[in-house]
Amino acid sequence: MAPLGARSVSTQIVRNRMKSVKNIQKITKAMKMVAASKLRAVQTRTENSRGLWQPFTALLGDAPSVDVKKNVIVAITSDKGLCGGINSTSVKVSRALHKLTSGPEKESKYVILGEKGKVQLVRDSRSSIEMTVSELQKNPINYTQIAVLADDILKNVEYDALRVVFNKFHSVISFKPTMVTILSPEVAEKESEAGGKIGDLDAYEIEGGETKSEILQNLAEFQFSCVLYNGALENACSELGARMSAMDSSSRNAGDMLDRLTLTYNRTRQASITTELTEIISGASALEG
Amino acid sequence: MSATTAAVPFWRAAGMTYIGYSNICAALVRNCLKEPFKSEAASREKVHFSVAKWADGKQEKPSVILVSVLRVPALHGQPGSLLLA
Repeated sequence: MAPLGARSVSTQIVRNRMKSVKNIQKITKAMKMVAASKLRAVQTRTENSRGLWQPFTALLGDAPSVDVKKNVIVAITSDKGLCGGINSTSVKVSRALHKLTSGPEKESKYVILGEKGKVQLVRDSRSSIEMTVSELQKNPINYTQIAVLADDILKNVEYDALRVVFNKFHSVISFKPTMVTILSPEVAEKESEAGGKIGDLDAYEIEGGETKSEILQNLAEFQFSCVLYNGALENACSELGARMSAMDSSSRNAGDMLDRLTLTYNRTRQASITTELTEIISGASALEG
Repeated sequence: MSATTAAVPFWRAAGMTYIGYSNICAALVRNCLKEPFKSEAASREKVHFSVAKWADGKQEKPSVILVSVLRVPALHGQPGSLLLA
């Protein structure tokens, strides 16, 4: 509050506030630049990694509406905050998927990558969480790390269909939540008998001594690993882009707040000067007259 | 599913998945590189994440995964041999 013994409204409070708002503005500007420089590096890697899963979609097609008993929703979120709303959108999509894919004979579980997703999903879906992973971005994301993680998931979680949910990076200001479906080899075989894109698999000749089911198994595992790699990179890009725009709007708001505080400060200062002047002048005129 | 007992590849019989097997092969290839490329490739091999299993809505103790493959000692000067991890 105002310091003791002050005779008029003090400008000190306003001055303190202005100092702290200015500091916040500097920090958010710096964070935006850091995010921008990191984004440049990750963006090229993300665009290159898109070529990893495109052949799979060309070969096997995408079957988002497949109806299976055991669904596992792999939600990719970030560990750090201050990145706008991307984690909330991913969690919203995951929850909607969970509702869609649970039912009398079906069940659906979560595998969560990233702290932010875990914190949000723990609140209402504790019992459906199978596994959580964190500290993924300690070193830059590389394929080896994701492959080990994918291996871990495949070995520990039973699934008929894996649904990977992440934010796809379209541009610095646009990130769309996306879902990719990967079928387990058994379900893929069933679907291939039902026809559709996967049914065309039989048109391909298989070299070597392997059977179609073996190839499907290898393909399914490799597809999961590639999709997870691409998803992790796209989500990292989206996180950096969202952080850039969040920090940008925050520095702009801090600037606006600073302007308003400056006006208040000047008004208070001028009012106190006017009061002092009137006191002096009325005192002087009282002495004369 | 058809009950063919077709010969599964040795790594599948040993319990590895395809990605586990390809990871080991990649590590072996990276090990064969010459010096300046070898250290660049080593940075592509760093694994670090912490995974925690959940049971009955409770989180169990998280375990930090730091190494991707079992380090197989490099066999120098024996170009023709095949390492079976």
